[in-house]
Amino acid sequence: MNLKKYLVRALHRLQKGPGYTYKELLVWYCDNTNTHGPKRIIKEGPKKKLIWFFLTLLFASLVFWQWGILINTYLSYNVTSSLSIGFKTMKFPAVTVCNANPFKYSEVKPLLKELDRLIEAALERILQPGNSSDDVSPPLDLELWNQIPLVLIDEHDKDNPIILDIFETNHTAVGSETAMGNRTGASNGTMDNETTAPPAPDLPSLCPQCSHQGSDNCTYRNFSSAAQAVTEWYILQSTSILSKVPLHDRIRMGYQAEDMILACLYGAEPCNYKNFTQIYHPDHGNCYIFNWGMDEEALNSSNPGAEFGLKLILDISQQDYIPYLSSAAGARLMLHQQKSFPFLKDQGIYAMAGTETSIGVLVDELERMGYPYSDCTMNGSDVPVRNLYSQYNTSYSIQACLRSCFQNHMVEICGCGHYMFPLPEGVNYCNNEDYPGWAYCYSSLRSSIKQRQICIDSCKETCNDTQYKMTISMADWPSEASEDWIFHILSYERDMSTNVTLDRNGIIKLNIYFQEYNYRTISESAATTIVWLLSSLGGQFGFWMGGSVLCLIEFGEIIIDSLWITVINVISWCKGL
Amino acid sequence: VQKKITARLKRTLPVRGPQAPTLSELMRWYCLNTNTHGCRRIVVSRGRLRRLLWILLTLSAVGLILWQCAELLMNYYSASVSVTVQFQNLPFPAVTICNINPYKYSAMKEYLSELDKETKKALETFYGFSEGKSKVRRSVDDWNSTGSDFFQQIPLLKVEDFSRTATDLRSGQKRRIEGSVFHKDSSIVNSADSNDIIGFQLCDANNSSECALYTFSSGVNAIQEWYKLHYMNIMAQIPLETKEKLSYSADDLILTCFFDGLSCDKRHFTRFHHPLHGNCYTFNSGENGTILSTSTGGSEYGLHVVLYIDEADYNPFLVTSTGAKIIVHDQNEYPFIEDIGTEIETAAATSIGMHFTRSRKLSKPYSDCTETGADIPVGNLYNKSYSLQICLHSCFQKAMVDSCGCAQYAQPLPAGAEYCNYKKNPNWMYCYYRLHEKFVKEQLGCQQICKDACSFKEWALTTSIAQWPSTVSEDWMLRVLSWDKGQKLNKKLNKTDLANLMVFYKDLNERFISENPANTLVILLSNFGGQLGLWMSCSVVCVIEIVEVFFIDSLSIVLRRQWQKAKKWWSQRQRGGAGKAPQAGDVERQGHDNPVCIDEDLPTFTTALRLPLPQDSPLPRTPPPNYSTLRLETAFTEQLPDTLELGQH
Repeated sequence: MNLKKYLVRALHRLQKGPGYTYKELLVWYCDNTNTHGPKRIIKEGPKKKLIWFFLTLLFASLVFWQWGILINTYLSYNVTSSLSIGFKTMKFPAVTVCNANPFKYSEVKPLLKELDRLIEAALERILQPGNSSDDVSPPLDLELWNQIPLVLIDEHDKDNPIILDIFETNHTAVGSETAMGNRTGASNGTMDNETTAPPAPDLPSLCPQCSHQGSDNCTYRNFSSAAQAVTEWYILQSTSILSKVPLHDRIRMGYQAEDMILACLYGAEPCNYKNFTQIYHPDHGNCYIFNWGMDEEALNSSNPGAEFGLKLILDISQQDYIPYLSSAAGARLMLHQQKSFPFLKDQGIYAMAGTETSIGVLVDELERMGYPYSDCTMNGSDVPVRNLYSQYNTSYSIQACLRSCFQNHMVEICGCGHYMFPLPEGVNYCNNEDYPGWAYCYSSLRSSIKQRQICIDSCKETCNDTQYKMTISMADWPSEASEDWIFHILSYERDMSTNVTLDRNGIIKLNIYFQEYNYRTISESAATTIVWLLSSLGGQFGFWMGGSVLCLIEFGEIIIDSLWITVINVISWCKGL
Repeated sequence: VQKKITARLKRTLPVRGPQAPTLSELMRWYCLNTNTHGCRRIVVSRGRLRRLLWILLTLSAVGLILWQCAELLMNYYSASVSVTVQFQNLPFPAVTICNINPYKYSAMKEYLSELDKETKKALETFYGFSEGKSKVRRSVDDWNSTGSDFFQQIPLLKVEDFSRTATDLRSGQKRRIEGSVFHKDSSIVNSADSNDIIGFQLCDANNSSECALYTFSSGVNAIQEWYKLHYMNIMAQIPLETKEKLSYSADDLILTCFFDGLSCDKRHFTRFHHPLHGNCYTFNSGENGTILSTSTGGSEYGLHVVLYIDEADYNPFLVTSTGAKIIVHDQNEYPFIEDIGTEIETAAATSIGMHFTRSRKLSKPYSDCTETGADIPVGNLYNKSYSLQICLHSCFQKAMVDSCGCAQYAQPLPAGAEYCNYKKNPNWMYCYYRLHEKFVKEQLGCQQICKDACSFKEWALTTSIAQWPSTVSEDWMLRVLSWDKGQKLNKKLNKTDLANLMVFYKDLNERFISENPANTLVILLSNFGGQLGLWMSCSVVCVIEIVEVFFIDSLSIVLRRQWQKAKKWWSQRQRGGAGKAPQAGDVERQGHDNPVCIDEDLPTFTTALRLPLPQDSPLPRTPPPNYSTLRLETAFTEQLPDTLELGQH
């Protein structure tokens, strides 16, 4: 019934026409709207009317312009940071300690015997080129040598550098600079053959070189110093040899916790090597992590100062270092967050033997907001790189991502994994026998800018960035007066022997503790929220025109009404036809 | 007809508006028609108390608005800080490496032999020290024969006590100290130890009675300072090219170099001559236009150099420590190696992990910093971008040239000046010390003139040391490095002559700390709007209204009144008789107030829609409903004549 009544009324209205005009509607609107301004237009005299009309127009456009700015500001998702500094009870950082040398030389000697003889002979030839005594009793294993030979490049003549293999007497004169590694058309066509060496200086002696399968596809890696060349060469060769050794053997060959960690004290509580978690680190062999928080709760420290920190005495037994592998001696240590993998080459520091190293720690935290405020990742799940370090059960970090990215590329291109990084499933580590071209492949991949850029682009930093700012100071330890008894006790405790088995060159004392202010936290908060946006929009509208949301609704109503008038007019015009 | 037209015109003209004849009427009109809340209440309210209350409320709202807006204005120039971390390829900074000893001692012999001889003599007299055990203490007479004027220029004195007598080293004569005594080591004089105080005297050459005695608590400092003064004198006379030759070459200093996994050599280093440290070498100085960058963090990918520190060739008096000094800086920055360098030990591997932070402050009016240094009245003597340090040094040098007439050796030369030496400027040392004293005490005004730079880059360094070479690798390492050093050096290197240095990025996260304006104009206006709206529902329109009503209209009314009064007075004087009193304007209604238009049932918008008027009505069409009709003005008029006193006859 109601509907019918309504329809009849509507029909009647359509027949009768609107009954008021656009002008009346507009005047009525201006008079009754809550926005300031329009009312003025109709209330004032003719001259002022005009002024008010333009003023209202101006203010309306101002409002819209400023609204645009505000919405833009909101959509740019700015953040403000707040800084707090002070002392609070905090989780003591995880402390990773390693020896700078990965394996005990006494253990790996059988494996590296050939290599060492080779390098000794090579050094002999480099240093004393004249008296090359070929009376080496067991012949050298030149197969190892031929995979990656060390050469001398004589560049006195820029265009015709003379390449001299150290173990060969004949000088190979290479036709031109371009021939140096650019003999393309090799059997293995996948390789890019770039001359990776920087323009060689006019120094007489430059060195080794990664060759690939026969000598067709070669690049020479130039070094300005023989010391570096020898070290790099040795690392490549030993990497290849050691990568064939199974992991548990490698762990056995490294330093054991009970040999390395002689004394441990956390706050007032004694601790020992059993409190450390063992982890195998490719660079440094066995590393031991204190307070990693993997199995048990992380320890808290609620007092600043050395008395309440971690005190360690380490033995690095420098006599057992591999002579050609690592020339720096000391302990490598790193402070990091619980459940994160220690990247010692990046963030680690050295502790010198025969000294006491005190490290005051300030935890520098940066807490950021995730998407859309900044492009960071909370746990790495949205990063398109397979995290190989997840096999250690560690959290995502940018270093882990970059290394995983590199290893994935390496596996893809070279077919085998690099020894320094974890392996994806079903892939083997590179070695010279099975993958003869790996060294070349690796060095070209490593120096490829493109590859690095891909990894940088695909990896994201974590939103919560924690750094441990260290204040490092050193003193001689043990003092001359206390040396005797300290060595005596430590030797006794370790080896149950009355003889002193330690010396200054191997012993390190470490103190790690919180500073008086132990945290500095920068946390982000959104500078613009939706509430901020609404109040600013309201402020603008109110400031220029005294309007509110209701005014907008009023305006909308008027538009609907005028449309209605149009509809009615159109219909009556149609009827009139 | 004319009359009729004017009457109609008059009728259509609003009389109650700004053209209202009296101020109170204008106010009433304003209050009834304004868009601000509050004011209307005053007029509409019944009862005196209530009206008073509304007046108070309105006034306090106005006060609040003014206060809050002032607060907003004052906080306008505040900055908020944002920290962004960006992971990216980082440009590797310039790394400047110097030997601590500036010049090869063997090469400097011809310049310094006299001075060294004198220094040794001084040591012998004061402390009985002599290098050779067999040397017999020489007598005082012996020295005079050497004919050196080092002691004449600046006599070294042993201050007996504070009876103001001192023993001259050279003559052995006691002399009274005149002038002021400066203690370089501490400002508090410890009179108990005064017996052992040693110092030197600087006199104003033009006025020999003006002398200053500089004393030191330790002879080590005194001798070094004294030596340094003479040394600077000597060095100031040697031309730059010669000095560069006397110092270490890149081949001398850098034994091996490795960057980002690739070999590098001396061509990657730029020489830079530092007045106090001799030849320094800057890696990645960006001089050839390219700045190296690293795309991987970690010690393997940074700069790795082995330095050769020839300890045997050190100057025994000038420097007393061995090693190298390095500084990590931006390519545009001047390396102030003497101020902020890091020392590198020999026989050790120093690993320096860097963390990069970039900061940006807002310049005026947010804070008092300078963007480029162009607005600082001190000329930049260094050929590098502005920094506070550069400004302070330049400022001091300028003051030095102005007051002493010559330039200090440790800083660059301003145009047209030359370095001080006592052949030409016998007075400079006294002048320098005086000036330096003033500079330290902030009396030169340099600290006030110089502002800090708005943006700066900082590399936070984490330095750690390991033993190098390790005992087992020492043998072959030293042999190979000796071979690297070249054939000219046949002896095997000593490990204390070598320093291993690694400089690398710990991570490639760049922290960028920037200040942003907390307020923009848009936000300020929004806040104004919010305040105005909250307290009074006011807007700019209201402000314009207020200006219009309270200033323009009231003024015009007052003026009109005065004009009419004056006219009336004039006409009275003219005619001597009273004119017709001005008619209080007939309140004619127009528009919606026109009684003809007022329907008895006050049509609203919806009634208007529902009831279309007959087409041929003689009356004007029903106007759209009127805001003022909702006021129920008529109802109140009868009841409350005191609140609504519309001028009706």
